Amino acid sequence: MSAPAAAPLPADQPALLLRWRLPLLAAVLATLPWIAPSQALAVNILIYGLYATGFNLLFGYTGLLSFGHAAFLGAGAYGTGIALARLGIGWFGAIAIGVAASGVLAVLIGALSIRSRGIYFSMVTLALAQLVYYIAFQADDWTGGENGLRGLTVSRLRVGPFALDFLNPVVKYYVIFGFVVAALWALSRVLNAPFGAAIEAIRENEGRALACGFDVRRMKLVAFALSGLVCGLAGALDALHLSIVPIDTLYYQTSGLAVMMALLGGAGTFLGPFIGAAIFLLIEDTFSLWTSHWQLFVGAIFILAVLFLPRGVWGSLIAWHQGRRA
Amino acid sequence: MNSTATDPGRRAVLGGGLAALAAPALLLRAARAADEPIRIGFPTPLTGPFGAEAKDQVRCASLAVAQFNAAGGLNGRMAELLVRDDKLNPGEAATRTLELIEQDHVACIVGSLSSSVQLAVNEVTKARGMLYVSISQSDTITEASDFGRTTFHEALNPHMTAGAVARYVFRPGMKVAILLADYAYGNEMAAGFRRAAAAMGGVEIVLEQKHPFGAADYSTFLPRLRSVKPDVVCICNFGRDQANSIKQAVDFGIKRLARIVVPVLLYNQRLAGSADAFEGVVGGANYYWTIEDRVASAKAFNDAYRAANNGAVPSDYGAYGYSGVRLMLEAMRRAGGVAPDAVIRELEGAHYDTCKGPETMRACDHQAIQSVLILESKAKSAMTSPADLFTVLATEEGKDANLRSCADLGHKT
Repeated sequence: MSAPAAAPLPADQPALLLRWRLPLLAAVLATLPWIAPSQALAVNILIYGLYATGFNLLFGYTGLLSFGHAAFLGAGAYGTGIALARLGIGWFGAIAIGVAASGVLAVLIGALSIRSRGIYFSMVTLALAQLVYYIAFQADDWTGGENGLRGLTVSRLRVGPFALDFLNPVVKYYVIFGFVVAALWALSRVLNAPFGAAIEAIRENEGRALACGFDVRRMKLVAFALSGLVCGLAGALDALHLSIVPIDTLYYQTSGLAVMMALLGGAGTFLGPFIGAAIFLLIEDTFSLWTSHWQLFVGAIFILAVLFLPRGVWGSLIAWHQGRRA
Repeated sequence: MNSTATDPGRRAVLGGGLAALAAPALLLRAARAADEPIRIGFPTPLTGPFGAEAKDQVRCASLAVAQFNAAGGLNGRMAELLVRDDKLNPGEAATRTLELIEQDHVACIVGSLSSSVQLAVNEVTKARGMLYVSISQSDTITEASDFGRTTFHEALNPHMTAGAVARYVFRPGMKVAILLADYAYGNEMAAGFRRAAAAMGGVEIVLEQKHPFGAADYSTFLPRLRSVKPDVVCICNFGRDQANSIKQAVDFGIKRLARIVVPVLLYNQRLAGSADAFEGVVGGANYYWTIEDRVASAKAFNDAYRAANNGAVPSDYGAYGYSGVRLMLEAMRRAGGVAPDAVIRELEGAHYDTCKGPETMRACDHQAIQSVLILESKAKSAMTSPADLFTVLATEEGKDANLRSCADLGHKT
């Protein structure tokens, strides 16, 4: 398996960090609405952080570079949006439908694409995701086509006897925060389980993993499906957040975004992609407020990050910490 | 025992103290709201293929704000324009709009420059009761399913634009071929031509050829257009696609065979393209600077723009930026405040003239009824200055009959 050069990182992160990574992230995220420039941006960080983390399960941990993860973000978003706008299903059911749709799509695309390896795997995922894009583009009775899906604004969330004002940015943030932390907790458990070790074994040396008796193909498919589910949840939450589903959600640039965020933060680390997403969105937001030539500065920062922090911001921090202890 | 006696006292002291602290803060806040500037959120695609149009919209919108402030504002309350780059991306635009509403506490949103982006902004504003003036073309935004009572559409829409061009160019017995970009804009414009042809009668649409959005090469589509021997070729695409397809159509000899017609003839695209390729192309526009010869408000707008921009003239989409912001600020001034209900009352059915002559804001769907200019691109030899690009062939004055009826749009009448 020709794993991407920059991605893998020795798994032996400090044990303390391993145990506390989730509470640490949750604590930082809980204060985010008051640190970030705006609450809308804070919600975006949650959603894209989850998206990049889901992508990283496949890229950083299993060593499979997918260029088609926009399909899962989009399936989650459109599944939720169509359930809300066209089928009139409640918000919780709509999220479930979105995540399920994304899971089914991930199994389909995964089953087809894991037959190939390396660059071919990336190309197959890209091609299949573009297929999904064009289907959504043409099926405008269901998806709204190029205009995007509208009419799915949720203003009140009914939770048992309570009704939450979902238009209130703080309420919205903490509802989405709840979903994101739950998903990250589940993901963290999966990675700490033997399954997590097994997919890392596949990443390090697929031949040896096979020789050790691992069912490599099944492991890859399960990792693919899990990754799709997490990204689908991110998409579902995005639909609720923005109250629209733009067709761009499915476009290949959205797939590229996950790769960039994971690389920027540190692929193969649990917190890295989340940090990458936060840095990316914060830089973009601040610089585009400041100058219309923001792309120039964002590009320069990327080049610097790739040159001097090849393991990503968080990955390099961990490596530096380990180097000091050794 | 003593402690129980002191408890209420302590509470009273605490409560009283808090109230004493809070009262001036609340008063201060109320006072501040009155002299806080009227913030106008302006999402627009500064980066991306429509950057040139967007930058001119910002210049024109700033001009409208400066004029409002110079005239004393709203009883001394000044206006402020908050420009945000929406990157021509609906998701980005929705996020920016949320920020403008939640963080910056804007009084209204004006802007966005594509069908999908304006629909995204509209979805956010209408759920929050926020005033929104859309300043780019869309037939969808005034339909009942997308319309909200705070939604106003100051731009022309494809039905009006293509309709006006078709009424000017089409004659019974003509054969018409349509080349359209396969996305909302192209499809809505093509539908506008089709409806106008049907209403006129005797005009035959012989071919509708779709091309993908952002196509660079039209050589596979143009021979089909030639082969049906049309009298008129309608090219329904926007921005760079327009310049590319017209240039290649000319290379394929289509211009010798038929009249090339576009729904919207863009000032900036003509500047980016060449006079030779565009020569004789006919299209519609909301604004062109030479109407100042007969429209006083256009003269005033052009003069103010020239003074602020070293003698340059405003573009068509720039004029939307000006009229959208000015329309809203004047309604606020008339309403004596920024409360949405009062402003909506001032806007519905309003007759106004910001920069292009009389307009009316139709009450049922909040579409601005306005004139459509029919322009023809000049030959290089006929241009007297670099800004002298078009001849105004005709002006179709705005009237209700040229719009789809509110019943058609799904509104209760």
